[in-house]
Order: sequence, then C-alpha cells, then structure tokens
Amino acid sequence: MRKFFPVEELARDSRFTQINMRQAQADPRTALVGPNAARRAKTNRLTPSRPDASEAARALMHGIFVGEIQALEGAGRTCHDFETATGSNSAAGTETDSVPFALKLDMARQAWDESRHVEISVKLGEWMGAEIGQFAENTVLFEAACSTDPVMRLAGVNRALEGLAIDVFTTMKEFGEVAGDPFLGFCEDWMLADEVTHVKMGSDWLRKVTENDPERRARALEFQSIVDKLFSFGGTRSESSDSPIGLARRFRELAGFTSDEVDEIADVSLAALEDRKAFAAAAMSSSGMSSSGMAADE
Amino acid sequence: MADPYKPRTPFAPWDRRQLPGLFDVEESARRIGNYKWAEMKLFETLGGWVATVPELDVKMRLGTHCYHHAWHAELWHKRLPELREMNPDRLTKPANDAMVRFIEALSEPEAAEQTIEKLVGVYRVFIPHFIAAYTFHRNNTSEITDAPTIRSLNFALHDELEDWRDGEMLLQSLIETPAEVDRAAAHQARLEKIMLEAGGIAGPGSIGVE
Amino acid sequence: MTVTVEPEVFRFVEFDNAMIAEVGNKLAAQLGIDRPIVVRVDETTPLGRVRATIGDTIEVTVESGAFEDSKRPRRQSEVATTINLGRILLRVRDRLHGGFGEAPLDDDIALAQMAAWETYCAGRLSRLGLRINRQRWLYNFRNRHGFSDKADAAFDAVWAADSLTWVQLEAISDAAVAVPSSA
Ligand SMILES: [Fe+2]
Ligand SMILES: [Fe+2]
Repeated sequence: MRKFFPVEELARDSRFTQINMRQAQADPRTALVGPNAARRAKTNRLTPSRPDASEAARALMHGIFVGEIQALEGAGRTCHDFETATGSNSAAGTETDSVPFALKLDMARQAWDESRHVEISVKLGEWMGAEIGQFAENTVLFEAACSTDPVMRLAGVNRALEGLAIDVFTTMKEFGEVAGDPFLGFCEDWMLADEVTHVKMGSDWLRKVTENDPERRARALEFQSIVDKLFSFGGTRSESSDSPIGLARRFRELAGFTSDEVDEIADVSLAALEDRKAFAAAAMSSSGMSSSGMAADE
Repeated sequence: MADPYKPRTPFAPWDRRQLPGLFDVEESARRIGNYKWAEMKLFETLGGWVATVPELDVKMRLGTHCYHHAWHAELWHKRLPELREMNPDRLTKPANDAMVRFIEALSEPEAAEQTIEKLVGVYRVFIPHFIAAYTFHRNNTSEITDAPTIRSLNFALHDELEDWRDGEMLLQSLIETPAEVDRAAAHQARLEKIMLEAGGIAGPGSIGVE
Repeated sequence: MTVTVEPEVFRFVEFDNAMIAEVGNKLAAQLGIDRPIVVRVDETTPLGRVRATIGDTIEVTVESGAFEDSKRPRRQSEVATTINLGRILLRVRDRLHGGFGEAPLDDDIALAQMAAWETYCAGRLSRLGLRINRQRWLYNFRNRHGFSDKADAAFDAVWAADSLTWVQLEAISDAAVAVPSSA
C-alpha cells in the first residue's frame, strides 16, 4: 500500500458520487455576486422557520455523513502515512515525515470516533428519510487531509474543519430540540463531545510539534485560516466575491497539491465567477432593473 | 462475625495462582517489545486501508479495530519501562526479518477490489497469531510476579477474539464464489508461510514450540 | 393543454427544456389540469423552491435545485423533475377542482398545514407509481406536528387519503399539532 493516498481514489460503493472542490467551484450558481448574495446566504441557514427546514436538515445530515467518512479516512491515513518518530525526535516529531507515537495513538482514537460518527449519521439519515449516496459527496475534507506534512493535516482538518463541524452540530442539535426530535439533539450532543476532543488534539499537537519551528507553525495556521474562510459563510458566501478563488488556490498549495492542480482550480473558479457576473450584468441591462430585483430568491 | 484477629492463609483456598513462570523480566520485555511493534504495524495498516475499501461496513470496522490495536500498542509501550526498559523504542522491534517481510506482504494489497486479501491477512493470519502468542504468554508467565502483563494480555485477548469474529464474519459475507474461496486460501497460504518462517509474533517460541 | 418552459436554453445548468415540457404535459394530462402552464426555471440559484400562481395561465416558478440530480450538480433528473412538478401541480389541481377553494394563499398557510398538504400530495404521487421516500415525508410531517403517536397517526391518515378537502386537511393538521411535542 502506498504512502499518501490520492483523493480521487477514495473507495466508495456504487451508491456514491463524488465531486471535488474544483468541480464544486465550477458551479456558477454558487459563485455569488451582487446584493442578492447576502440575502441568499441568510436564507441558506438552517432554521426551523425555513419552509424547507426538514429538507435542508436532511441534506445537511448527508453532508455530515460523508464528511465523517472522510474524517475517518483522513485519521486512518495519518496513522499510516508517516513513520513513528524515534530517539530525540520521538516526543515532538520535528521531522515532517514522522510523527510522535502518541500522535498516532490519537489519530487511531479519532478513527474509532469517526467510525461511530459514520454509524450515527447513517442511522440519523435513515430516520430523516435520506438515502445513502442520495447527494453528491464533496471530497474537500479529505483534500485537506492530503498534505505530506502532518501538522498541516491537523491544522486543516482538526482545527479548521472540525471546528466548523462544531458549529454545524450545534445548529443541528438546536434544530432537533426545537422540533422535539427524540434522536437528533441527543446524537449531535454526543458527536459534539467527540469533535471538541478532536479540535483539542489538533491544537495540542500543533503547539507541541512546531514548538521550535515558528515558520512551520505559521504555515499551518495560515492553512487553518484559509480553510476557515473557505467554509464559513463569511468566505464563499460573502460579497467579496473574488476572495474564494484566491483562498481555494492557496488551500491547494498548502494542502500539497501540484502547481498544475492549483492553477486548474483557479481557472475553473474564475471562469464560473466571470460567467455569473456577465449574466448578472446582462440581466440588469436588458430589464432595466436594479440588481436586487433580478434573482427570484423567495 | 468471625474473629478478625484469627490468622488466615495468605492465599485463599480458591486462589491457585503459582509463583513459577517461564519468563524472566528480560524475556517478558523482549516479547512485549515484539508485540508492541506488531500491534503498531497492524493499526497503521488498518488505518491506511480505511480509505481503500469501498464496503461501508468494512470501512467502519477497520476504523474501529484500528483503535483497538493502537491501544494494545500503548499498553505494551507503558509496560516496557516497568520491565527495566527505560527506552521503549529500543525493544520496539520486529522479532526477525521474516516478520518485516510478513508485514510488507500483509499490507501490500491496496486496490478497492482486494478487500478479501486485506481481511484474510488480518483476520485469518495475523490476529490468530496474536491470539496464540498472547494466550501462550498469559498461560506461562508467573501468575504472581508478572500479573500486570497478564492483565494487559487479557484486555488485548478480549479485543483480538472479538475482532477476529467480526473480521471472519465480514469475510464469510464477502466470499461468494469458489474462485473467491481460492483467492482467500491462496493469500492466507502465502502469508502463513512467511509467518512460519518468522516463528510467530515474537519469533520462534511464540507459542512454546521452537 | 400545453406546457411551455423558460428559458429555452439553459446556461448555468444542463437542463433540457423539451424534457421538462414533456414531463409537464404528461402530469397535466394525468391530473386533469385544463389550463396552459408556464414553467419558469431560475437557473441562477441551486436552491429548490417551487411556487405557482393560478390565473388563466398557471405560472410555475422553479429554483433549479428542484429539477436537479442531487448526485450530479447542474444536471437534470427526470425523477426529481416529475416529483417536484407533480407536487406543485397536484396542489394546483386541489385548488382548482379538489375542495381547496377555502385554502389561503401559500404564503399565508401555516408551516404545519403546508406539511400536511405536501404529505397528501406525496402519498397520492406514490400511488401514481412515482418513487417517493415515505420516511422523508414522515420526518417533514413530524417536524411540524411533533414527534408523537398522534402526529404519526395523522400522517398515516393524510398519506392514505385520496379525496380530502382543505377543511378536512386543516382539521387533521391542527388536531395533531395541538399535542405537546413531548407526548
Ligand atoms: Fe466526526
Ligand atoms: Fe472529528
């Protein structure tokens, strides 16, 4: 078995369809520009008052389900992809190709936790009427777990994505509690406890491993903040519409993708954004409308 | 109530533990170093395979079992300094070169179509050898002086037996044709031959017979 | 009656105007809708809301997510197109011919009542042979009526019904909602 497993080869049964970050960004409908963007972002948030709340919750649960699979795979790969640090290096794992024994133990523990999260999300998905593989699987979480530097994985996955997962789980928990769902809030509460542990693992190891390497720490923190911005509503969904492309580009650079792959995502995203802008401009000039009247959001 | 000052035998009539054991401190530590190395290779391999198996149930079991073996490695890691080995890395090593080759062959399958080979390696060869070596160690070490090792062996054995059953049942559910029976048997034989050369998880004498 | 679809050519999604029209025509015939229908697809949003206004022409506004293959972004799914167009056209038919004359405008219908009406539509669509996930609609109904045996019984009644009036549907929904969610 190879060290470092390419995201394109993540093994799935026939029910699943995967899209990567590049393909997701190629959708011009998500390259939001103009005054409608903020409004749409708001209507996208999961709240019980949304007319399509249960639909949105169901789709979100499927997203959580596939995210858990990738988190499981990422943690498992970190057990395998790196040597175990020995000698003077053993406590901190200061070399990028090795990790401390205790870090591997934490990753194995996380693999078990994520396995349970997959089990939980399968059951919750069934309960909510979702079918396995019903929605496309965005492989971005595993993409953040592809770096050849374990510290980048901890920053991108444990600190950034699992940090965001805490927000998502909290939202779901509240949603379930408001609706009186007997399982949703209960399960999310348990998963939250695990995710907080995973974020802490990321923080502890990042601090320990980069104790004497400020440059490596800075790079990891930059990666974390890019992932954060890419996935929080302030990033992709903001009106500063050009930023997501730059973020996606830097994401892939830091996640260890080749420069060709980095260029490709920038090109595709830019094309989608330009397409959207051109469409918005054409619609406005032909109708004589202000841009806020263009899209039928409600 | 009985008189609390009346002398009693230190070992109750039902406590038949014996003092003698086959292993001295050094030999126990040597074996435990081999166990730790092997458990590490096993959990690393299971972790790596998670992304490579398409079967969702297998994926989740591998993730779960990955942690079991990491925990066993941790138990052995903590036991070593108690056995006068202050540098656990020194004894964390394969029993011999054949064990290294065994791990290479075990972890070789990667393709999504090779779940049978992956599971055969772990659940029909490696884990049965863990069960054998741990059982031999538990039944032959001093029940009194080496009680901490016995306690860890019992925890590990419990997992190994449960996980073996999980893996074996997954295999039985995946093997659907006579050709797949042959595939499983061929891979098992290939790995078993290397293990024969290695003499077991802790080398020759892993289960008492050289 | 004919169904026309806008836009003619899609730019943001790979949808087929003719296929939507064909599905619409088939549904209109099956449901006995006797007015022209215009289906306007908003392809600038991936959301999936569907609305209709009834006049001499029935105008259906669809966000592109409603016709999309959820496995393959931007591609069309004939199943999703049929189910989601079917849902809205059933409600249109209910308003035109099905004893739903007293029903308020969509925007004024309480979320629980709308969930009940959607259940009524989904149950009928499943009996028309469409592949409908019953659990999905049960979950939707429970979210609006509470997770209780009484709510589930109300769901069963609405799901199995073929000729409810708005007044009957409203009564079932209101009675189910009246149960505290902890019951
Ligand atoms: Fe998780
Ligand atoms: Fe996690």
